[in-house]
Amino acid sequence: MALKQVSSNKCFEGFQKVFEHDSTELKCKMRFGIYLPPKAETAKCPVLYWLSGLTCTEQNFITKAGFQQAAAEHGLIVVAPDTSPRGCNIEGEDESWDFGTGAGFYVDATEDPWKTNYRMYSYVRDELPKLINANFPTNPERMSVFGHSMGGHGALILALKNPGKYKCQWGKKALGGYLGSDVSKWEAYDATQLVKSYPDSHLDILIDQGKDDQFLSAGQLLPDNFIAACTERKIPVVFRLQQGYDHSYFFIATFINDHIKHHAKFLNA
Amino acid sequence: MYHWTRIHCKLEFLSKERLSETITASHRSAAGAQPGLPTSPTPGRPTAAQPGPSPARGPIPAAGPPWPGPGGRAGPSRGTRGGSRSIRRRGGRRRRGRPAARGRRTAPAPSPGLRLIISKASQRIPMSSRPVSAREYESSDQFPGHSASPPVPNSSETEGLIFYHMDLYGSNERFDIFPEEPSGQGSRFLGNTRRESALSSEKCQNSHEAGYDMEKEVAELAKMYGLDEDREKELELLGGHLETVGSKWLPAHTQKSGLQDSVYNRSKSSSPVKDQSKSTKHQELPDEVSQDEDQHKARTENEADSHTWFREGLSSSGVSDERSSQAVSEEEEMADVFCCTCKIPIRAFDKLFGEHKDHEVAQLSSAVESEKEEIHKNMCKLEEQIAQVENFASHLEEIFITVEENFGRQEQNFEVHYNDAVQVLAQKYEEQLEALGEEKKQKLEALYEQLVSCGEHLDTCKELMDTTHKLYQENDKVTFMKEAVTMVDRLEKFLKKEVNLKLSTHPDFEERAIDFSEVEQLMNSINTIPAPCAPVINPQAPNAATGTSLRVCWGLFSDDTVECYQLCYKPVSNERHSDEQAEHMLKVKETYCTISNLLPNTQYEFWVSASNASGISPPSERAVYVTAPSPPIIKSKKIRSCENAALVCWESRDVNPVDSYTVELSKLTDEENGDIITESIVGIPNCEALIHLQPAQSYHICVKALNLGGSSERSEPVLIHTTGTYFCLNEDTAHPLLAILDDGFTIACDELENPECDLPVYDNSFTRCIGILGSLIPFPGKHYWEVEAEEDTEYRIGVAFENTPRHGYLGANNSSWCMRHIITPSRHKYEFLHSGMTPDIRITVPPTKIGILLDYESYRLSFYNADIAQHLYTFNSHFQHYVHPCFALETPGTLKVHTGITVPPWTALL
Repeated sequence: MALKQVSSNKCFEGFQKVFEHDSTELKCKMRFGIYLPPKAETAKCPVLYWLSGLTCTEQNFITKAGFQQAAAEHGLIVVAPDTSPRGCNIEGEDESWDFGTGAGFYVDATEDPWKTNYRMYSYVRDELPKLINANFPTNPERMSVFGHSMGGHGALILALKNPGKYKCQWGKKALGGYLGSDVSKWEAYDATQLVKSYPDSHLDILIDQGKDDQFLSAGQLLPDNFIAACTERKIPVVFRLQQGYDHSYFFIATFINDHIKHHAKFLNA
Repeated sequence: MYHWTRIHCKLEFLSKERLSETITASHRSAAGAQPGLPTSPTPGRPTAAQPGPSPARGPIPAAGPPWPGPGGRAGPSRGTRGGSRSIRRRGGRRRRGRPAARGRRTAPAPSPGLRLIISKASQRIPMSSRPVSAREYESSDQFPGHSASPPVPNSSETEGLIFYHMDLYGSNERFDIFPEEPSGQGSRFLGNTRRESALSSEKCQNSHEAGYDMEKEVAELAKMYGLDEDREKELELLGGHLETVGSKWLPAHTQKSGLQDSVYNRSKSSSPVKDQSKSTKHQELPDEVSQDEDQHKARTENEADSHTWFREGLSSSGVSDERSSQAVSEEEEMADVFCCTCKIPIRAFDKLFGEHKDHEVAQLSSAVESEKEEIHKNMCKLEEQIAQVENFASHLEEIFITVEENFGRQEQNFEVHYNDAVQVLAQKYEEQLEALGEEKKQKLEALYEQLVSCGEHLDTCKELMDTTHKLYQENDKVTFMKEAVTMVDRLEKFLKKEVNLKLSTHPDFEERAIDFSEVEQLMNSINTIPAPCAPVINPQAPNAATGTSLRVCWGLFSDDTVECYQLCYKPVSNERHSDEQAEHMLKVKETYCTISNLLPNTQYEFWVSASNASGISPPSERAVYVTAPSPPIIKSKKIRSCENAALVCWESRDVNPVDSYTVELSKLTDEENGDIITESIVGIPNCEALIHLQPAQSYHICVKALNLGGSSERSEPVLIHTTGTYFCLNEDTAHPLLAILDDGFTIACDELENPECDLPVYDNSFTRCIGILGSLIPFPGKHYWEVEAEEDTEYRIGVAFENTPRHGYLGANNSSWCMRHIITPSRHKYEFLHSGMTPDIRITVPPTKIGILLDYESYRLSFYNADIAQHLYTFNSHFQHYVHPCFALETPGTLKVHTGITVPPWTALL
């Protein structure tokens, strides 16, 4: 599992790097961005995984979100993987913006032709952390996950399906679960459903939702369902409906600091 | 004595000059220019003479020869002032005598020679006044007879004579001999030496004559001059004091040497000189007796001894004595044993055959030994005696000085008092004389008037007589008759007038009592002590007072004699009826007093007066003292604290304000020793102090009140823990429907029927919102507290400025920041309100314990679900003022406030 450094830039006394590697889960070359804070030069640091939304690559987050300052301040390694396998030559993978390339939805596909390559859930859950822990000064006991849109939902799924694995909880921007679309098959990846079956309430979920999010008003985001479920299951969630914000990276950049602090509180506790 | 003399003189002057002047003036005015009254000085005389020195003590200058002192300055022309001078010189001579006495003491055993010379000196006094004769006899030193007399060392001779002769027998003649000597003493010294050598030669001459020509001379002289006459003269010459010893030697002396003297007197010297010295001596001797009695006695004794000695010497001189001494020397050569019976060395031969046959004898050498031992013992005794006498002498010298000092003191005292008395006397005298003069003037005027009227009367009589006489001789009958009728009428009229021949005034003057009472009083007061001056009361010394007692101090003038003090005091009152305040009085012996049972923090006025047997002094200035305050009471329910500070309030128990307060801290350690004051904060003007402390410690804090008088006792201490932030609820701000339960930290509301009811409302309480404010310490840093609420309780909690509007809802304005919990039909709704605005936030788990973190330094107010350490919301605000916690209920229920909680670490990140 050789890592190939694609780029390296000094940023807030740390380094923002991009690596490429051959993924065994996805059977393709995958890239991920990683920010190494200055603290990583002398100590092992917790790792925070960012799951991006639809159409994104590893570049979007590291270039647009402006998270590095907060990460450097709190001493967190932030890993931003790609959102789907690329170059697998699966038929129809590039036909739709919200299905196929750039839209892995962080699930393990069970249907052909996707099930060979589209195993993003396993990739993010197993392969990538192993790779990171083996090559960087990380504290494997302390990891956390957050994301935006589809990635936010993915983060919720990861957390809720793996109690205890993620030391702390889930940031999620603009809850990105298409909870109404593939109800039967994707039930296992429905964050709301998962919340209902979550065994304990040892989570602390912070959700910021732009109130003017076009997807919210289009009924594609159903946060109230999730909040109700969390209330029922007594999973502590603070859901902040942010007046005037939309779904964009501008929204992300506004609240990224809150979320990094939120994670840092637990990762550094 | 000198001062008295001065006073005496002064008095005399007064009486002579001033008094006579006033008297004569009055006479002049009364009866024209009259000669001064011859009796005018008399009133002064008796007064002056009474306490004055006895006339016998001073020389009478007018009667005596020119003063024979070394300076020779004093003369009779000096008049009465000479009296004072003579006294002074006598003192001076006595002082000069002291060194002489010391010199003599260093030679403790005066040699016989010295004593002899002394005796000769006194014996030959009359001769010494005749230097001419003395000089003539200097050559007689070589006479053979003088060897029988004891040797006379010149040096000791001089010493002894200086002591005795001084200026007593110095005469003008002698000064004529040594006129060039600069100082009186030097000339006297030399003069005496010369005189003594003359005397010794005289003596030799005497003995010589006595030895060889005694009988013949006596017979001759008896023939030539009357023996009786000479004897008389001799007695006169020697003076009265020598008669005391005269009985011993006088008969022999007069018969032998005394007669010789008279030979010389008559044959070789001129009598005027002798007479002069004689008269001088007579005047001097009484003084000598009264003034220097010790000296005189010693001299008398010496003289007596030496006279005896001298007589023996005279008797032993002669051929027979000479021969016997020769025999003794022969015996000494041959003696080898010592006869113990006869106490003489003898030859062994004598022991066997001579008169010492039966006597006990001893070897001569052993006898010498024992005798030497005896002598040695005596020498030791002598030495002891010398030491003793020397000590005594030095002691005497000290006494000398002490006597001088005491004299000076007493003298000054007397001078002051007698001066007063004299002044009073003079004044009295003046008054009396003036009155007397006035009376005299009146008398004389009356007499004069009478005299004038008498003259007039006489003139009228004479005129009448003449007229009548003329009429009588009138020849013309008609005319006669004409005039006779008128004349007879006139005569009848005139004669009808009675002639007043009574004296209009009497020559006797009124009896005027001389009143000495005032003087007597003055005299009596000389030894009594004066009444003391007013004492000086000290201002209050700091820290000398307690709440109920004061220590007052004062001082007196050192000259005063004080038996006791009267200390008065009363409380100072601003009211005009302060006179009604009771004055207290204490009698104190000391110059301080501690008064107890006073009121705390109250001003008292003190004044003190001193008294002794003569009276009481005026009171001192009034001094205001103040008692220390009562200990303050710390309002323990209003204590606020945080990790780094505490705000303590207290109240004073006194009505009057105090100067300042002192807060004392003692940090409690594990040993629970809270008595050690670890820090004091002084000079606090108000009843409130913000004290900086260290986090996570426990402190005992107490307060003392201070004023000028001192500090009060400590207040009851309060315990403060600097763990987290501690505050209490401000009941004044509570809405009427809000109740604070007994624990002081639980607020409850039972019913909400009519929140804007007519319940009594306090000025500061919330009127619409059923809320209350807490009292948070105004201190920067972090403050954290928690509020416990039931899940279904609707509430507003947060912070607000102290002046947040009481009629509005918390969070509805810009002076409060609140988290609001309300229950909608579908869910719990949480609002984070400031200025009526809230973000849209959903919280899935309703918190029952809300943590509130106020962080002034990072301008944040954060809310947490403290149970699960969940951050709920953070206000970011630059609080312009310090804020207070606020709590409000919107449904019936309770809120329990928890304070004193350490800030949880998880709040650090959000």
